[in-house]
Amino acid sequence: MTINVKHSLVVAFPLIAALAFSIYIVQHQIAGYKGIEKKIEEFVTLPKGEYLKPAVFGYDQLVADIIWLRAIQVIGDKVVTPKGYEWVYHAMDVVTTLDPKFAYAYQFGGVTLSELGNRPDMSNMLLEKGLKENPEVWQIPFYLGFNNFFHLHNYEKAAKYMSIASELPGHPEYLPKLASRLYVQAGNPDIALEFLINMYKETDDEKVKESLEKRIKEVIIERDAIYLERGVAKYKEVYKDSPENLQDLVRMGIIKDIPPEPFGGYYYFDQSTNKVYSSVIRDRMHVYGK
Amino acid sequence: MKVLTIARNTFREAIRDRILYNLLFFALLMIAVSLLLATLTVGEQSKIIIDIGLASINIFGALIAIFLGIGLIIKEIEKRTIYNILSKPVPRYQFIIGKYLGLLITIMVNIIIMGAGLYLILIINELRWGHDIFNVNLDIWLDIWKAIYLIFIELMVVTAIALMFSTFSSSSTLSAIFTIAAYIIGHLTEELRLIGNKLPDSFMKSTINFFYYFLPNLDNFNVKGKVVHGIYVSASYISLVTLYGLLYISVVLLLSGVIFQRRDFK
Repeated sequence: MTINVKHSLVVAFPLIAALAFSIYIVQHQIAGYKGIEKKIEEFVTLPKGEYLKPAVFGYDQLVADIIWLRAIQVIGDKVVTPKGYEWVYHAMDVVTTLDPKFAYAYQFGGVTLSELGNRPDMSNMLLEKGLKENPEVWQIPFYLGFNNFFHLHNYEKAAKYMSIASELPGHPEYLPKLASRLYVQAGNPDIALEFLINMYKETDDEKVKESLEKRIKEVIIERDAIYLERGVAKYKEVYKDSPENLQDLVRMGIIKDIPPEPFGGYYYFDQSTNKVYSSVIRDRMHVYGK
Repeated sequence: MKVLTIARNTFREAIRDRILYNLLFFALLMIAVSLLLATLTVGEQSKIIIDIGLASINIFGALIAIFLGIGLIIKEIEKRTIYNILSKPVPRYQFIIGKYLGLLITIMVNIIIMGAGLYLILIINELRWGHDIFNVNLDIWLDIWKAIYLIFIELMVVTAIALMFSTFSSSSTLSAIFTIAAYIIGHLTEELRLIGNKLPDSFMKSTINFFYYFLPNLDNFNVKGKVVHGIYVSASYISLVTLYGLLYISVVLLLSGVIFQRRDFK
């Protein structure tokens, strides 16, 4: 019998090793299939939180965490299609229904949907839900203010949310001042810039940071353009003629120097439209101009 | 032929087990109750029935596989019938394979009964709403068999795992806990891949990947959600997953054989 036992081991172990290797190969192939089939669309089969709740036997937070972990991996993975963002919203909605106090999920969903997905409507729905459930978290009204200011251009509402945020515990020092300034001078690019820079500081997501950085530069262009146009107006007042170019303003001592263009281009004055443009971004963000 | 004799006897013994009938009864009850639940919904009654039906087949099938699977060897030891068998010129590995096959036949019969129950309820549902029975969404109805087939492969793996635990554990409770744990882990393995891909540390990454590749990945067999939503499940996927199941079963049975070979019966 002992010989038999040893014999069986000699046969069995190489066989097991070979089979294990085959399992590895096959599983790799299957993962490839799933890689194609499994994307954001997998959230299509995710039931609404209200219906999932009774099915998870009280392990609401645990299930919320699993869906959350899954969702953020998928979102971070690849380029998300517009339809994909609807499923991001759906997933975040499910997570926050299962675990309504999961404040970060609202913030993450809110900023991803508005900044990356360009869906401020869904972002606001999520954040409003979050505000109702977590009225003590200052970030949620802060993001709502951000959406209203930059995406919906509803400055009054933005100011309202910012003042809500500035009364909540743990808010940063700059917030009350920013909120009060929003009330009086919503169209000023300096306010927008201050808002954006603070938003940038509050965000950890790299992709969102990238998007915000671009936005910050665009606002800087707007601010500089307004400044240069004022110089042009002054030039006309004094010399009763349009300047040839922006260098004329410096030469005549109207402005000290031309600010650097943040994308690495330059500013120029277009006589036909009487406006200042950036060589990199031709369109002006008219919303901030008064 | 000894294998087949053992398989036949195992099957005969299994269908006398009261646990089996209890579980089968509840499975069929669940499938039937789905008809009641379907009346509460508006439209898509068949979706509810298919969802509940497939879930019942899966859950109760797994319970049958686990509870009959762990009993396979342990019962023989408890009843001391194992001495009888092993004293005959039956190699131990053949005994294991015979037992395994016997249980597979039992599970297959049960799954076919449950599947037939699901179809029956679907037909009753269509007739109740006065639909033309030949005018239903045949694609989904046929795809249900893809899901049921893969549930069967999944249960084959679960049975093999239950059998392996019962070859070295002397307590059925312990084996049941082990197998249920393996079943749950098997359904979470897929998460490991997502986690593994995101980890910055390469050591952690390879550890996670090791577990991802060598723990049973039962989620491979889960196409229930796709089938009910009419998402196409390709034949190549099904055959690949079947291959995976067979390979995994081979390893588990080999391990069971090795363990069982070395076990002393006093």
